[in-house]
Amino acid sequence: MNWPDLSMGGYGFYVWGSYIFALVLIAWEVVSLKQRKKTLRQQQHAQQEQRSSSVSPAVLTGSANETTS
Amino acid sequence: MNLYKYASPATFYPLAGKMIPWFAITSAILFAVGMYVGFFIAPTDFQQGDAYRIIFIHVPAAWMAMFLYVLMAIYAGIGWAFNARLSSMMASAIAITGAMFTLLSLVTGALWGKPTWGTYWAWDARMTSTLILLFLYIGFISLQSAIDDTRRADRAGAVLALVGVINVPIIYFSVQWWNTLHQGATIRILGKPTIAGPMLAAMLIMLAACWLYSVAVVLIRLRCIILEREQNASRFAEVNA
Repeated sequence: MNWPDLSMGGYGFYVWGSYIFALVLIAWEVVSLKQRKKTLRQQQHAQQEQRSSSVSPAVLTGSANETTS
Repeated sequence: MNLYKYASPATFYPLAGKMIPWFAITSAILFAVGMYVGFFIAPTDFQQGDAYRIIFIHVPAAWMAMFLYVLMAIYAGIGWAFNARLSSMMASAIAITGAMFTLLSLVTGALWGKPTWGTYWAWDARMTSTLILLFLYIGFISLQSAIDDTRRADRAGAVLALVGVINVPIIYFSVQWWNTLHQGATIRILGKPTIAGPMLAAMLIMLAACWLYSVAVVLIRLRCIILEREQNASRFAEVNA
């Protein structure tokens, strides 16, 4: 095994530029998918809370008043 | 065994969830192996020097761009013809990854073109048709997001995707049909490849890695789309209750 010449015989900018661009795109795709999953989960929680809170809204407002006073 | 069972989003959702980590892990391993073979084992090209090493990402990206477009059009077409919701959702899930690979092939191609041809861009048949492919993907994505009714968005997207399929053979055969700046194919369906062993191996391993990566991210996105559409449906039901 020989270590490759990191300057790529003078073509370093083009070769590493290509791979760095690929890495950036992959990172962008993975991060944006994670973000999408996260917001979906938050929305699901909000929907569930809405359903349960609609049963007894008085309890929620009551507790809110207690903390502010 | 009932294969149709998996055509329903509700049963497909957990199955996809179990498969995603395997595709992702195998893909990461193959990327590492491909880079190792491509940079440590494959020799320097006598004509292009080390600049040719862009091939290990450029060619797989260009192939994925074309494969994924055809796959997207097939899924969109099936979703439209048989009113199969999951199939249409699959088409939407593929679009962004396909567009990403098209952009990657254009940018890596430009970075390869500068040292070998002396220019980042030329209005050559293959580059122009690949740019059109990128516009087709972007058109599909923006058309779908512009229509609120999901089933109508699916149908409109399917028409665009199917019409655009004509562009894929144009890209593939452009180097034979026209006298282009772009070099000819190194891997041929018929006949021997015109490339040395380790170079070919690195390229094929990277292609496999790109395939598995695509499967993993497309399945993750598909799961998001299933949930989003379900949520919209339940919200709609609540409002109209």
